[in-house]
Amino acid sequence: MKLKTNGFGVSLEDLQALVAEGLSGGGDWCDLFFEYSAYTSLMLRDGIVSSGGCHEDYGCGIRVLNGEKTGYAYAESTDMRALRKAARSAASIASGGSVKACGTPHSVECPHNLYPARRDWREVESAAIISTLQRIESEIRRRESRTLKVMATFSCDMSEVLMFNSLGELTQDLRPMGSLAVTAIFSNGKKVINNNASRSYRAGAEMLGDSVVNALVEEVVRGIDEAFEARRPRGGKMSVVMGAGASGILLHEAMGHAFEADFNRKGQSVFSERMGQKICRSGISIVDDGCLPGNRGACNFDDEGVPGQKTYMVTDGVLTSFLHDRISAKFYGVAPTGNGRRESFRYNPIPRMRATYMENGSDGSVEDLIASVKKGIYVDRFSNGQVKIGEGDFTFFVKSGRLIENGRLTAPVSDINIIGNGPRALADIRAVASDLTIDEGQWTCGKEQSAPVSCGIPSVLVEHLTVGGGQ
Amino acid sequence: MITKEDKALVRQCIAMILAQGADAARVTLNRSVEELVATLNGEVDKVTRCEDSSLALDIFIDGRFGSFSTNRTQADALESFVRKAADMARAMEPDPLRKLPAAERKAADAVTGLEAGLYDAAQEAVTPAQRVQNALKAAAWGKCPAPEGMVLLSEEGEYSDSCNDNLIMDSEGLECCHTETSFDYGVEVTVADAQGRKYSGYAWDSSSRAEGLDAEGCGRRALERACARRDSPALPGGQYTMVVDSEVAGKLVTPLLNALNGYSLQQGNSFLDGSLGQKIFADGMTLLDIPRTKGLQGAKYYDSEGVATADKPIIEGGVVKQYFLNTYMAGKMGMAPTVESATKVKMMPWPRSGPEQARDRAALLRRCRSGIIVTDFNGGNCNPATGDFSYGIEGFLFEDGVLVRPVDGMLITGNMKILWQHFLAAADDARPCLSKLIPTLAFSSVDFSGE
Repeated sequence: MKLKTNGFGVSLEDLQALVAEGLSGGGDWCDLFFEYSAYTSLMLRDGIVSSGGCHEDYGCGIRVLNGEKTGYAYAESTDMRALRKAARSAASIASGGSVKACGTPHSVECPHNLYPARRDWREVESAAIISTLQRIESEIRRRESRTLKVMATFSCDMSEVLMFNSLGELTQDLRPMGSLAVTAIFSNGKKVINNNASRSYRAGAEMLGDSVVNALVEEVVRGIDEAFEARRPRGGKMSVVMGAGASGILLHEAMGHAFEADFNRKGQSVFSERMGQKICRSGISIVDDGCLPGNRGACNFDDEGVPGQKTYMVTDGVLTSFLHDRISAKFYGVAPTGNGRRESFRYNPIPRMRATYMENGSDGSVEDLIASVKKGIYVDRFSNGQVKIGEGDFTFFVKSGRLIENGRLTAPVSDINIIGNGPRALADIRAVASDLTIDEGQWTCGKEQSAPVSCGIPSVLVEHLTVGGGQ
Repeated sequence: MITKEDKALVRQCIAMILAQGADAARVTLNRSVEELVATLNGEVDKVTRCEDSSLALDIFIDGRFGSFSTNRTQADALESFVRKAADMARAMEPDPLRKLPAAERKAADAVTGLEAGLYDAAQEAVTPAQRVQNALKAAAWGKCPAPEGMVLLSEEGEYSDSCNDNLIMDSEGLECCHTETSFDYGVEVTVADAQGRKYSGYAWDSSSRAEGLDAEGCGRRALERACARRDSPALPGGQYTMVVDSEVAGKLVTPLLNALNGYSLQQGNSFLDGSLGQKIFADGMTLLDIPRTKGLQGAKYYDSEGVATADKPIIEGGVVKQYFLNTYMAGKMGMAPTVESATKVKMMPWPRSGPEQARDRAALLRRCRSGIIVTDFNGGNCNPATGDFSYGIEGFLFEDGVLVRPVDGMLITGNMKILWQHFLAAADDARPCLSKLIPTLAFSSVDFSGE
């Protein structure tokens, strides 16, 4: 049988031999993850693009499972001696027991390519990217005379992946990623503020069009007057209306991590014992989706060779699924959900989110939600978040928003942290609008390893969150 | 350890870059080996072996600059990569400020890699069986019972040892190397109370030496910390005296270091712009960079440009003494270069003598009498342009110098400059393994948001 093993210089026989080496200690699963990634970046600063570079990373990770226990090692070459050494290291997780045989190699085809790059990043001249970065700066300066500095960064990554496992499944993926990020500094003579925006897609160079430039510029200059006026609210518990899109960070931090099955398998998550229970009001459905074409969280296959899929974690208010890799799926006796992801061949896969969002509700518009709040806050821009899995306590940092007083948006606010508890916040979602937006920013999740993700949400009203502020 | 072959490889890479017509080049070799054993509930759960080696290339060509890296170091792959890298560097826009540091700034005393005293040959002799023993030694599972009313649900532990080598050379004769071993333990436990509410706790220890680590203490302390969180509702919001435990106090220093870095200052994205030589903070605040303390974890004799580090004050008596300016940023700002960033930061105790001096956390709590001690941060951020911050916290209410009850779900909010103007005291209890040697700190009048 002739199956392509890509450009990694290994034959099918080599793959089988490595799996056999991995299983030689009595392990019951072995998989190989070959990866070649080329990352390019260019940065505009002070009006010129005078720094940039390319970074390549090449190697193969070998994992052996013995029940739920993991042996992992990697080699930064595909020389068989180095790979065999890594396989032997990984095999040490098992000792004794019958030695399993590797399955007959067969190719697993991708049902639908979610990121067909029409223009390969490897063929794009630096000059074209430099011109895009310069256009971003000149547009920002044209639109906003108070601009002090603009930093614009372009990065792209092309990652070739080949996976093979002890079932004999051979999987290949070519993963493009293109990102643009802008930070601008503005001054009105009395105060200096910053603003930033980013866009990131699993796409080729076709993303570098007018629309992405215009969207970035618009987002960076939007709300500058308010930002100069912004102040800290008086802190305390209050109602929070979270605007559609980037507010999906609420789902990622407050619920998504706690639904990752490794935390539940180990009894650590606040949701460990709540499968099948009603955890929020009817009508709320929360999804983790690897199938959004071109999305930063899209996966043709996850990093265990499982096809990308859409997973309902909460269906009509009921907890219906955790996010599984192969280990947790076997533990729970369910099919893997395609969430076994890793930063690179240097890491073993673990359950990770992809694009996490809430489906539309039926409680009207964002204006209706705001109108229903007597005293609270509306938030629409965020920078980062965090969660404590066991306690369920989460936070996210708000870059900008407005006070809500008697149903109306009033004074602008900025730079406040919001803290809450995942299960309580879920139960305290009082209204969900019908304006679902998937945010297209450069979100990266940092659970042990970095992974590109995205998030989205319709506008929601959450009661009883604690908002940082003056006293 | 850096070998002759490593140096030959780096020299060969520099020659390849110059052969492409470059004016100058700097090449850094980074190599590490790490072995790790993780446990789950007192049993081995994962073993990993990591071996990394990569080259980072800084290319100065036709008045242009680019930085590149690869882990494919075979001659043919490297040659092809260097060719592409040189082409890409040529595509950048010209920038006359991109250059190697002046010869007199470069380190000349990091010759063997052992000068910082951070290498322990015992790392090479650790066997797989010893690693398993070490990992199990740190676990509390089956050894330390949870207190009455609490159940130990889960314990994840980890032992690892590693050796990291760094070699940096440039086309103008720079040659520096550094070798460092590390031995690390970490344990995280999750417990539940009778109502099923879960609490977690973490403890760790680390050293460049195999000896002297408190492995057994990690599991025990993690369990104690988790159990101490039981029933920890937020307090009413208000202004409190804040004590910050040494384990996490570095979080309040990081924004200051970022704001003193040329990359922030030059872009106007720093709340400490124009602060050099100015008294910005409270009298008692003295922050040093001590990269040359032999044997101190994190010490290093040179920065990423090969520039010699030096023991110097960053802030002294509240006065800003140093910006961190690499060659490029110093050129842009028209100032004298220093080093790229702080290497090993140490905050001096305050007061340094007299009856008000508090050497450790307990003494500092007694001195402050009442307030909130922060033992961990939960998220948050600091705006680099304004210094406005907001962080989630957990900790304990203390009264008459004694912990009264745990608190959780609260936030501190303020401005970094003002916070450090309200600096009251620093103890002298920073563990040497902390990346920043920041002791337990105390501040007055901090805004806490809560119930």
